[in-house]
Amino acid sequence: MPKEVRADYQSKMRKPTDFEAFWQDVLHQVEAIPLAPAMVQEPLRTSDDIEVFQVFYHSLDQVRIAAWYCRPSHRAERSPAILFLPGYQMDPPIPKEWARKGYIALSVAPRGKLRSMHQFNPGYPNLLTHNIVDRHTYAYRGFYVDTWRGIDFLLSRPEVDPTRIGVTGTSQGGGLTICTAAMRPEIRAAAAGAPYLCGYLDAIELTHTYPYEEINDYLRQHPDSRPAVEETLAYFDGLNFADHITCPIIINIGLQDNVCPPETGYALFNRIGATDKRLYPYNGHGHDAGRSQHSVIVDRFFAQHLSPER
Amino acid sequence: MDSKPADFAQYWQRTLDDLAGFPVRPELELLPLRTTDFATLYSVRLTSLGPYRLFGYLSIPTGTGPFPAIYYAPKYQSVLEIIPQGTANLQRSAYITFALAGRGQRNSDTPYAAMFPGLLTEGIEQAETYIFRGLAADSIRGLEFLLAQRELDPSRVVVVGNDLALITAALRPGATHVVATPALFYRTAELAPKTQAYPLEEINDYLRAFPATAAAVRRTLAYYDLQTFTPRVKATTLLMAGAPGALLDAQALAPLVTALPGPVTVHESEQSSYKDGLYAEQWMAERCGIADVLRILPEHWR
Repeated sequence: MPKEVRADYQSKMRKPTDFEAFWQDVLHQVEAIPLAPAMVQEPLRTSDDIEVFQVFYHSLDQVRIAAWYCRPSHRAERSPAILFLPGYQMDPPIPKEWARKGYIALSVAPRGKLRSMHQFNPGYPNLLTHNIVDRHTYAYRGFYVDTWRGIDFLLSRPEVDPTRIGVTGTSQGGGLTICTAAMRPEIRAAAAGAPYLCGYLDAIELTHTYPYEEINDYLRQHPDSRPAVEETLAYFDGLNFADHITCPIIINIGLQDNVCPPETGYALFNRIGATDKRLYPYNGHGHDAGRSQHSVIVDRFFAQHLSPER
Repeated sequence: MDSKPADFAQYWQRTLDDLAGFPVRPELELLPLRTTDFATLYSVRLTSLGPYRLFGYLSIPTGTGPFPAIYYAPKYQSVLEIIPQGTANLQRSAYITFALAGRGQRNSDTPYAAMFPGLLTEGIEQAETYIFRGLAADSIRGLEFLLAQRELDPSRVVVVGNDLALITAALRPGATHVVATPALFYRTAELAPKTQAYPLEEINDYLRAFPATAAAVRRTLAYYDLQTFTPRVKATTLLMAGAPGALLDAQALAPLVTALPGPVTVHESEQSSYKDGLYAEQWMAERCGIADVLRILPEHWR
């Protein structure tokens, strides 16, 4: 049997004193960039019940971001919305499934993903360590903002009810859910699965699998850069965003997760600021984090907080 | 059920003959960033049908071989992984691994960049121009390249992947074992309407948008149906089936099992990437004579 995972695992990650100031500065920079949203109907993917669009908007550094946008053909004047965030290697899916449940759904392709790679494309593997010695140019600085700007896009749509927006994703999508819920007060409910990008420095010791192994590769090649790497990652670690989360949130983890160590899931949960929070640890599960059982819980959670039938 | 086209054998022989007309011309480049004390990693560029230049990652264990090998055939996603996400990096200490990006995937995306979704229906109206004719050739070319590595033990070569793994093993000798998770080409025309999930939803989208092409699409898919390939697969096979009730569960795949002439094991998904992944890792290790499998498993599986 695999070893037991400690629920009281203590992460070594500490929050920099200027963490909030760093991100406020980034937000100021992006506020100066017009969203310039565009929607292009996608007849090939549209059916009687679901309308599908390709979406584009501007983000940090003027990078043009692509996304898929789905909405139920028959909907109320104002509908709740789900922001769906992708895994590390996943090609962002067309979120028809969410639309079938009554939500308007936006599935973002942050920079470097397919359809958002013309101006920025460090590749896979590589994204995780691209400019990792400099927080002002680290890959995830823009990548995080690209996801947050998805909220701005949703707010720009007249058919979206701005008081009923949720965010969800698994793996990297789980990590992005954490920082999005922390940085965007418009989020009313968040569901994060097997969150990646949480406890980076713990993860690279707890596991030796890709994608986290990219950091070990980098440090083996550039051992003198370790202090700079550690400094940078502290600004991007979901553990340091967690105390900003105030919306209801659920998290599911697999206790045999070979990609995102479950210890980091516990550390994350313990740091989340929201009072309405719940962790679902699934024994006997890896990076799927119990998805087969948990998806019904996620559906119920969003139905409770976003009321798609209203 | 898709019926076997009368010229099935000729179609694939022509593909193999065309492929043989293009020398592999491999270029290997050491990648120090991904090289460890237990394995050396190379980027590989090689030529496939077209001609089309492809990209792959080749990892060679430290020490004296010969080593067993795992060939990660092109996946249905844009990203090419060195080894699959979540696999212990130490797998590279025990096996030669080779992962290939088929045409359209990242690093093999010049001149053709695939879209996901989109790849499954690219050129689907004509079997001769269907993108998967090239992708099957790519996958075969990858196996040929791997088999030519001097450190490789030809008695222990595992091909891992989706439908392309089985198609490759059917069309090119050399694979001793196959771990296949059918997803694209098993009774596709019949099963796609029963799901709304991608990638098979791509077929539904296409036929909804272009209903007049239905007969042509069905004709093309018939050249790719796994049931027609399986009698040619001589390798020992592990079929990874969906969980009971899934579109491609063990019951649905039963005809494939019957048609495979070599030894077959079916693993029905336990809806746990840990349990399913562990099963596949142990299955490969056992058949490749790797005694200490624990050593090459992810930490949280040990």
